[in-house]
Amino acid sequence: MGADTAGRGVIRRAVAGQRRDVAVGSLLGACHQIGEALVPVLIGLIVDRAVVRPDGGALAIWLVVLAVVYTLLSFGFRFGARAGERAAEQAAHQLRLDVVRRVLAPHGGAEAGRPPGALVNVATEDARRVGAVNMALTLGIAAVVGVVAGAVLLLRASLPLGLLVLIGAPVLMALGHFLARPLQHRSEAEQEQAAHASGVAADLVAGVRVLKGLRAERAAVDRYRATSQASREANVRAARAAALQTGLMLTLTGSFIALVALVGGRLVLSGSIGLGALVSAVGLALFLPGPIGMLAWVGAELAKGRASAARIADVLAAPGETTGGTAEPAAPAPGELRLNGLGHAGLDALDLTVRPGEHLGIVVTDPADAQTLLHCLARRCDPDRGSVELDGVPVTELAPDALRSVLLVAEHDAQLFDGTLLENVTAAAPAGADPGPAMDAAAVDEVASALSGGTGGRIGERGSSLSGGQRQRVALARALAADRSVLVVHDPTTAVDAATEARIAAGIRRARTGRTTVLVTSSPALLAATDRVVLVDGGTITAEAPHEDLVRDHPVYRTAVLT
Amino acid sequence: MTTPSHPADDSAELLPVATPARTRAALRALIRPDRGLALTGIGVLVAATAVGLLVQPLLGRIVDIVADGRPAGDLTLPVVLLVAVAAVQGVTTTIGLTRVARLGETVLARLREQFVERALDLPADRLERAGAGDLTARVTGDVARVAEAVRSALPEMARSVLAILLTLGALALLDVRFLLAALLAVPVQLLTARWYVTRALTLYADQRVANGAQQQQLLETIGGAVTVRGHRLERQHTERGAGRSRKAVDLTMRSVNLVLGFYGRLHIAEYIGLAAVLIAGFWLVRDGAVSIGTATAAALYFHSLFGPVNAALVLLDDAQSAAAGLARLVGVTDLARPTEPVAGKAEPAGAAEPAPVPHQRTGPQQRTAPGAAVAVDAVSHAYGPGRPVLHEVSLTLRPGEHVALVGTSGAGKSTLARIVAGVQQPTAGTVTAPAGAGEPSVVLVTQEVHVFTGSLAEDLRLARPDATDAELRGALSTVHALDWAEALPDGLDTVVGEGGHRLDPARAQQLALARLVLAGPALAVLDEATAEAGSAGARVLERSAEAALSGRTALIVAHRLTQAVAADRVVVLEAGRVVESGPHEELRDADGPYAALWRAWSGSRTAPHP
Repeated sequence: MGADTAGRGVIRRAVAGQRRDVAVGSLLGACHQIGEALVPVLIGLIVDRAVVRPDGGALAIWLVVLAVVYTLLSFGFRFGARAGERAAEQAAHQLRLDVVRRVLAPHGGAEAGRPPGALVNVATEDARRVGAVNMALTLGIAAVVGVVAGAVLLLRASLPLGLLVLIGAPVLMALGHFLARPLQHRSEAEQEQAAHASGVAADLVAGVRVLKGLRAERAAVDRYRATSQASREANVRAARAAALQTGLMLTLTGSFIALVALVGGRLVLSGSIGLGALVSAVGLALFLPGPIGMLAWVGAELAKGRASAARIADVLAAPGETTGGTAEPAAPAPGELRLNGLGHAGLDALDLTVRPGEHLGIVVTDPADAQTLLHCLARRCDPDRGSVELDGVPVTELAPDALRSVLLVAEHDAQLFDGTLLENVTAAAPAGADPGPAMDAAAVDEVASALSGGTGGRIGERGSSLSGGQRQRVALARALAADRSVLVVHDPTTAVDAATEARIAAGIRRARTGRTTVLVTSSPALLAATDRVVLVDGGTITAEAPHEDLVRDHPVYRTAVLT
Repeated sequence: MTTPSHPADDSAELLPVATPARTRAALRALIRPDRGLALTGIGVLVAATAVGLLVQPLLGRIVDIVADGRPAGDLTLPVVLLVAVAAVQGVTTTIGLTRVARLGETVLARLREQFVERALDLPADRLERAGAGDLTARVTGDVARVAEAVRSALPEMARSVLAILLTLGALALLDVRFLLAALLAVPVQLLTARWYVTRALTLYADQRVANGAQQQQLLETIGGAVTVRGHRLERQHTERGAGRSRKAVDLTMRSVNLVLGFYGRLHIAEYIGLAAVLIAGFWLVRDGAVSIGTATAAALYFHSLFGPVNAALVLLDDAQSAAAGLARLVGVTDLARPTEPVAGKAEPAGAAEPAPVPHQRTGPQQRTAPGAAVAVDAVSHAYGPGRPVLHEVSLTLRPGEHVALVGTSGAGKSTLARIVAGVQQPTAGTVTAPAGAGEPSVVLVTQEVHVFTGSLAEDLRLARPDATDAELRGALSTVHALDWAEALPDGLDTVVGEGGHRLDPARAQQLALARLVLAGPALAVLDEATAEAGSAGARVLERSAEAALSGRTALIVAHRLTQAVAADRVVVLEAGRVVESGPHEELRDADGPYAALWRAWSGSRTAPHP
């Protein structure tokens, strides 16, 4: 219910933001509909005035009138629809950006429970559907005007005939709506099933290399065939429902026209209206299903728009991962990091001070604990107990984005972005800074020489044209080039060969001289290059010494990093 | 390091697109099994349209009755007939549309199934050259476009074309001069259609590209939101997203303007035709050739043509875009089926290389349990002229032996692994590997993890479709994954993969190892199958891998040297050549490349030997 209300708000804003185009579109669309309604009337008039008693002069005059009406309806349609479409596209564009801004908001949280594909769908399909409400509104208003115009024209020709259409048309609309409703519900479920089949196909194709490695192509095809057939049956059922609806509407409108013709014919015979009025009435009865059908379509569009708006509202109102925190960290930050009895998930009472400029290695035996620690440092979660302090200020008091401009947590699975190699490395770097040292430290020069175009070569979507190890090096170079006061790196070299890893260990040391650097890793090469290593085992700190000492003296540590 | 790294140049060799003639032939072949359905469907729709055309003459008859001032009772018959027409039209339309939809859906299902089957059958190196994006775009975008056409454009197009043809016929029946008058609109309509289609094609292609770019940007930004926030790239990404979205919006507005210009021209055609029919009515009534009712019916007929004509013309580009999509799908389904993956023709990779020697495997030799011998004989490979990766590599694996392949990035480890796994054809040389009967004889597991959408059990059964639940549990237990798998919300029935329960990379890789256990090959090739997990997770995975490999011959591409320590033998590859081979201890103590690698990896010259 709450999402529904919020969804309404989303629609309201989408319409209000484009009210000028919506108004212009509705107005011109109405002109078009009136013109369309006048055409059959004019046909009737021409038959009545120029054909029944052939009159060339009258024919010429009325054909000129018909031309004027055509110009009016053509102009109204063209510019009205343009305004409506513009309103739809603009509103969708705004919503798309709103969703992106919410996802990227410092407090995060919009991704919780929503895979990226689903969120992208919200930003594209749902935004488009809500935007389309604007177009639907202009068409709906124009259609109502069309129905009213038709009725008025009829009322002028004949009161009873006009009343018949005025009452009959809404009844027809209501019947159509009533009949369509259950069908609509069913077809939505069917469409979901159909979408599933296309998802399965894309999924299998995405995993084709894995399937080939496993020699499981046949099993996958068999499975896809079953899904595809289920989807086919669902679609046939949906199509049958839609066909039934079309057929019913045809029968209803046809019967309605027969009724109008019957009543109109009797009225002419009784002398209360002219022959032209009958022809017009029949023509209008043939015209009216157009705007009536349009109204039914508009109703369906609005329903889709509402469902989409609720999903958008849901994303926009998603709770953040963390709350509060507005302070700015000291500038320039000395870079002292302190854990005070930090406890969260598997971590318990962690006390640790990283001195400004120190290079610290942290070995965490449980990967989940490592993740928790990194999340606490990056303020992706707020700890249950204790605190993380940056230069004496608890990070929970700092605005997350302000914190991250001083402290960078480079996650193990950090993503690269489409663009050149150099653009990726310098993405987070201060303007004008030389990326050379960072690239050298992360051994990105080797990546560049293997890439056609060198540092100016494009690395593809998410760095897809690079291998896993190459991607890790570019991501590390980006983190180093960002030149934050505090850098926390998580397992930066798991897919890098041993020789290169040793080079990178020395490189990090060099590039971050005098800057606080924390390496959360179990790579002996990287740990050997740190000042001090802390071992977190079972959620608590169990040892603390230089790497070589721990390797020599501490069996748990030795197991953790060397086997 | 991993897969043979592909340069980011434009050398990607896209999959073929079928010619129009070939596409039509393929379409005919797809429809052939359901010819009966097609004929009856179209037949019923023709009947429905024809019945509908009785409306105007009946209305004309009412006009005549009224014009002649006949008794009101005479109205009853045509009115009753009008209602009957409406009823028959409703029923036949329902039946016709249902049949056409069934036909469309059946053909569509057939097409997409053929497509997926062929796509999964493509040789791996062909896939690499085309890039995964091309195939994914076809299976999502093109299938959707064809489906859309089948679901909405096709039935509407069929009804519109039928309505146009039959209405023109009906006009001719009233009086052929009405038809001639109506046809005055046709030249304008044809010119308009041509004007539109030539412009629409390029514009819509641009629009699709812009939409694709927008989609990709959003996926990147949203999928990488943590990275974007962490690195403070919010503004860059918002601007990129806004730019791509703006471009897509601009192109959409341009196509809207095009469509609206198209309708504007059609309005002119409508006016010309309508005026002509009215003038013809005027002449014919004046000359006494037709009744007023007939003239009215003719005008109403022409008026009723507006809708179908507009629909048919505007659907032209849907039809065209569907045809383009169909051509791209048929391009893949038409690809020559390789006789067998193993005996498949080696693609001539580089003109500079010696003539390719087909990749051979000694005949259907019996599966030798528990492992199998593998002989790699003088295998060379190049990914293109001047890009050699392997130079006459020879290597033998004894049955049950575990060999670790180590070396720096770009040494050719992955390429050799893929060749041994039979996924890649070498440029020269032969690999003799076990050829199993029924079960796959060799399985390759790489660091590329993919959790297939569906339940966990379904994912596992890809490896062995007839596996029992107990076997699934057994395989999971072997790789130490049963505990977490049973702790999932619905156990093995938990939906995983895209949109389902997300598994972290380590668990996803354990799943891949469990699939290996289920497939039960004599030879297993692991290509850095433990790299993605992060160092702490890697240890867990290494234990899983060890368990999964027990009893099999195994080639393990390793970067964590702990895997080398555990292997029976270490083979060091450098610049595409084998430079060292022997047990870990032996190589570590020798003063060769492996010893240097070990020192670098262990991070200390004084590190004790484990």
